[in-house]
Amino acid sequence: MRFFALICPCLWFCSVASAAELRFGLSGDPKTFDPLHVLDDNSEVVRYLTAGVLVRVNRVTDKVEPELAESYKLSPDGRAITFKLRPNLKFSDGTPLNASDVARTLNTALDPKQASPKGDTFRTDQGVPVAKVNSPLEITIRYPAPKPDLERLFDALSIIPVKAEKIPSSAGPFFVSEYRPGESIRLTRNPYYFQKPALDSIRLDIQPNKDIELTRFLRGELHFINKLDPESFDRVAKEKPAAARNLGASLDSDLLWFNQAPSSSVPEWKHKWFTSTAFRHAISESIHRDDIARLVFRGHAHPAAGPVSPANKFWFNAQLKPLPYDAAAASKALASEGFKLTGGVLKDRDGHPVEFSLITNAGNRPREAMAAVIQDDLKKIGIRVNIVTLEMGSLIERIARTAQYEACLLSFTSVEINPTEQMNVWLSSGAQHAWWPLQKTPGTQWEARIDKLQMSMASEPSQALRKKAFDEFQQLVVEQEPIIYLVNQDHLSAISPALKGTQPVAAPPQILWNVGQLRLE
Amino acid sequence: MRRKLASAILILVALCALFAPAIAPFDYDRQFRESPHAAAGGQFLMGTDNLGRDRFSRLVYATRISIVLAPAAAAVSVLLALMLSRFSSLTTLCLSLPWIFLFIIMRALLPLDTGPFASILLTFALMGVAGWAWPARIFNASIRQIRQSGWLLQARASGMPSRRIALIHVWPHLRAIAVAQFRVLVPAYILSEASLGLIGLGVAEPLPSWGNLLAELQRPQAVSANPWILAPLGLLMLVMICLEEVSA
Amino acid sequence: MNNALEFRISASYGKTEVLHSVAGTIAPGEIVALAGLSGSGKSTLALALLRLLHYRGGSVTGSITVEGRELTGLSESAMRSVRGKLIGYVPQSPGTALNERLKVRTLLEETWSAHAEGAGSFGALLESVQLPGDQVFLNKRAGELSTGQGQRLLIAFGIMHKPAVLLADEPTSALDVITQAAVLKLFAELNQKNGTAMLFISHDLLSVASISHRVDILHEGKIVESGPPGKIFSAPEHPFTRSLVDAMPRRMD
Ligand SMILES: Nc1ncnc2c1ncn2[C@@H]1O[C@H](COP(=O)(O)OP(=O)(O)OP(=O)(O)O)[C@@H](O)[C@H]1O
Ligand SMILES: [Mg+2]
Repeated sequence: MRFFALICPCLWFCSVASAAELRFGLSGDPKTFDPLHVLDDNSEVVRYLTAGVLVRVNRVTDKVEPELAESYKLSPDGRAITFKLRPNLKFSDGTPLNASDVARTLNTALDPKQASPKGDTFRTDQGVPVAKVNSPLEITIRYPAPKPDLERLFDALSIIPVKAEKIPSSAGPFFVSEYRPGESIRLTRNPYYFQKPALDSIRLDIQPNKDIELTRFLRGELHFINKLDPESFDRVAKEKPAAARNLGASLDSDLLWFNQAPSSSVPEWKHKWFTSTAFRHAISESIHRDDIARLVFRGHAHPAAGPVSPANKFWFNAQLKPLPYDAAAASKALASEGFKLTGGVLKDRDGHPVEFSLITNAGNRPREAMAAVIQDDLKKIGIRVNIVTLEMGSLIERIARTAQYEACLLSFTSVEINPTEQMNVWLSSGAQHAWWPLQKTPGTQWEARIDKLQMSMASEPSQALRKKAFDEFQQLVVEQEPIIYLVNQDHLSAISPALKGTQPVAAPPQILWNVGQLRLE
Repeated sequence: MRRKLASAILILVALCALFAPAIAPFDYDRQFRESPHAAAGGQFLMGTDNLGRDRFSRLVYATRISIVLAPAAAAVSVLLALMLSRFSSLTTLCLSLPWIFLFIIMRALLPLDTGPFASILLTFALMGVAGWAWPARIFNASIRQIRQSGWLLQARASGMPSRRIALIHVWPHLRAIAVAQFRVLVPAYILSEASLGLIGLGVAEPLPSWGNLLAELQRPQAVSANPWILAPLGLLMLVMICLEEVSA
Repeated sequence: MNNALEFRISASYGKTEVLHSVAGTIAPGEIVALAGLSGSGKSTLALALLRLLHYRGGSVTGSITVEGRELTGLSESAMRSVRGKLIGYVPQSPGTALNERLKVRTLLEETWSAHAEGAGSFGALLESVQLPGDQVFLNKRAGELSTGQGQRLLIAFGIMHKPAVLLADEPTSALDVITQAAVLKLFAELNQKNGTAMLFISHDLLSVASISHRVDILHEGKIVESGPPGKIFSAPEHPFTRSLVDAMPRRMD
């Protein structure tokens, strides 16, 4: 009995000291602690954990839930939103928080001098919203024109204190209590927050080396890793099976496209192939997407069905299915277009052997392996592919400015589940219009249609109509294949079984999105 | 005895490289997609890589590329160094040039339809040309020493023609340095090719080289899955040791 | 008849002049000993006479004639046929004057073919400087020789082509007394047999005196006294010569 009494407080101390502090790795120092000027991922993690926001989008149900605002009301014309704040809100330094702080935050974000990326999300072509403080606990924000999904914008707007400091006090569940550059950041629970999170503190270890991060996780020093590559994931699955968590398809897509812009470096006959839908479709059909998923990503990827990942449950066009591998069909289609296979070499109608160079960025081994698979697949139908890896800068130079390339293998990453997010890629006039940047007018009817659909998605207030337009857009991309979608990689993470209450999602901030509910056992 | 053994090994490796097509059981780019990450033994002597390519065949072909091109590039550097070492300011200038950027610019200017073999040839050629300044600096220092030496003065006092002095007296000293520099540069170039691969200037898929095979070692856990991933490293070390032994 | 060697030169390193219009003549078959303190410019004089001083960063003005032939103004290739042939040279420090990577054989052959056709035979030459002429020795690398062996080899190079004048810069400094005596005897024989004139640089006046016909005293870049050894020892004129002679060990008779 005495023995038990001795050991008991000791156990109690240990469990308290470790159980209440969540630990994980950050790939580098955050560039800023100012919530309105966050651009990099590491700053965004700190911002998210310290953010006092009016509402929060539930990443699982996609519903907008109250936070600092206990309720909100949209005006019938879709132009304005009125928030009612909770009473007695305070910042982490104890200063009170009311409606005028919300107005000031929004106005600061919108101040052109601030050049705040958060502010940019609030701007529209028609103009900027105006905030009106109705009472200390009530504020109305009004746009000059209807703004779809107005309430969701506030998920990312952290209310900032009056006092501008390098590390400002926070209105969210945690505040930055200690920062050692290059080493760690400690977040402590905000005692004035309206809710009490289960965690006492969070320690973010700055750890640029992924392999060390993994080793530390496997030793139990870190509670989770947000994003793992397939090889590391398989190692976790082997050594700590309970910790390996495949969150399913991510929002990212691996893809390739042909240069359709007029370019001095693309001979006229190749330009003819690249602008032919039948040619692009045949290429697409001869690429073995299952093999890419299985070999390059160790099975932790899925053939892509179209421009939107199925992870984007709401906006994905469920009618679309990945194009099955069918080299025979592709060869047949090419033959009917006048291509001829002689001596293992495919030649076009005029006798030009079909070959092209495929550029991709250097140093990304999975991508190079993917290129090797494609090269081998196309060899089977008589097409020679020359793989060229380029340093990212010169790659961008070629695809965005000089158009000196034939085909490009890359991936598009998505951070938002928003149909207009990639408008810059799809609008013919867009700067990142992959296959022909800054095209003056759409070259074909289907391109004109894509432009029209994109425009309507940006302004149509009815969600149902927007969904309809977006479905048609996806269908069109799959039919015309200006961009050939290959696979969606799975989002792979590792979560210690000691961390409870997780509802991880594939989109940032993945595991952390419901930090209020996370607890340690 | 050791010297003989070393030269025998080198000759063996060179022969393997020369007769790669006969020795390698498969093409270096043949993908056995049903057997990725195969273990060593059976059909695949050293197992397969992630795309199901036979590691042994790739190693044999990689040897062919690296064992010819790296020494060739090293020889180019040493020769250039010998010729240019007297221009010490040029040496200093070249040492201060940001070569990596020149490589990037070179790659950016290269036509995209340059085949993998032509581009690797070019990469090594450029390495050879770019690398002359390091040995040149060493030559420069030792030439300065030789100029001050008593034996050079004595040779002059004996009336030997300057060419003869250069050949008989000076060259043995420079040759020793040249050999040493060559030995340092060969592995350096093999490894440089690997790191150039990381910025896209190395060997392009599907061609194998020691460099890009070594790059697989970046993932330590892969080694425990198939220790044969270490084979290129072992071979590189073996060749270096043998070169050392032979040229000593 | 012309003098074997006649000179009047000034030499400087950069701006510092170390030889101030030093003049001298050596008659055919004459042995002249040149004595002076360390740093007085003896080696500089030898190199200047060979017109090699610029390789040491020095410069020379004045005139040098060998057997009546003016050397200043000769091209480098013409000088080449003078060095080792008309003027033999034995450098001062054997440790650094031999290329340690080369074989004795190579060095002999190269020194030989600088001025002669065909294969030389070196047995007698090596014997005269008391070096073995066998294969083992010939195959040694210069770096493997002792300092004394090195010095004797250098002497062999200096006399190989039977020069008209031999400039020997402290040729016996690294030798034991017995070998030293033998080498001095060799010089005397050479002088008698071939009529080789010699400039014998040394600070050891005593040993030099035994074979030389005349002694020149170099002090602060000038020849301050010149005369037969007997006169220099018994009646030195210049105060410096006097102090030099006074410092010599006396025989107790
Ligand atoms: N390469 C050189 N550069 C500059 N000064 C030199 C050089 N060589 C010699 N001197 C200087 O010239 C002077 C004469 O030197 P030298 O070597 O001729 O003397 P030395 O009489 O031969 O002396 P020792 O008996 O020590 O051999 C000395 O003051 C020396 O410091
Ligand atoms: Mg001297």
